[in-house]
Amino acid sequence: MGNKLSIIVFSGTTDKILSAGVLSQAAAAMGSEVNIFVTFWGLLSFTKGEKKMIMPKEFEHMGQTMMEGMAREHVASWYSMIKEAKEFGAKVYACSMACGVMGIKREDLDPIVDDMVGAATFLQQAEGGQTLFI
Amino acid sequence: MDVGVKIIDSRGAACPGPITDLARAYRNSKVGDIFEMWATDKGVKADTQAWATKTGNEILESREEPDKIVIRIKINKR
Repeated sequence: MGNKLSIIVFSGTTDKILSAGVLSQAAAAMGSEVNIFVTFWGLLSFTKGEKKMIMPKEFEHMGQTMMEGMAREHVASWYSMIKEAKEFGAKVYACSMACGVMGIKREDLDPIVDDMVGAATFLQQAEGGQTLFI
Repeated sequence: MDVGVKIIDSRGAACPGPITDLARAYRNSKVGDIFEMWATDKGVKADTQAWATKTGNEILESREEPDKIVIRIKINKR
């Protein structure tokens, strides 16, 4: 594992965002620099307001079971995982182009988002580390 | 004998909770400190080993008790 993990959060379903949360928090705890770049459907969960559970269509019937399992196993929410990662220095960026396409303004973004940046900034930050596209 | 050992109680926490508890304790540690982690997450033995390798610290002991996994970690590097 390198000393830097960069994650592109493209998907909008909660299962995938949870994976991004787990890896962000774990990498931050391992002492790695963590950059999270949120784009397209991912942005729907990074605007202000209530975070809705969005299951992928093919697993919709398992939503209730998964919620119960997560409660039983005391699995934290993806939001609190990213907050934990940020406590260790992780940064969250929103893609400026996708925000434009979706009509999302800087002030619409959740406080968990540090800045709105372009692809070049993210690529430069990610250089030399591991990058995941989720 | 165990006067200097700091307990990190992560019982009940799911991954990546225990490793985060360890990282938080590590922040305020000094070289020579010994942590004893109590956890119930099944991944914790491998995860603390990975953490120790990555951060340059040492697992002194790793054992399973009926109700928890106990891991002793020595801080060698700050």
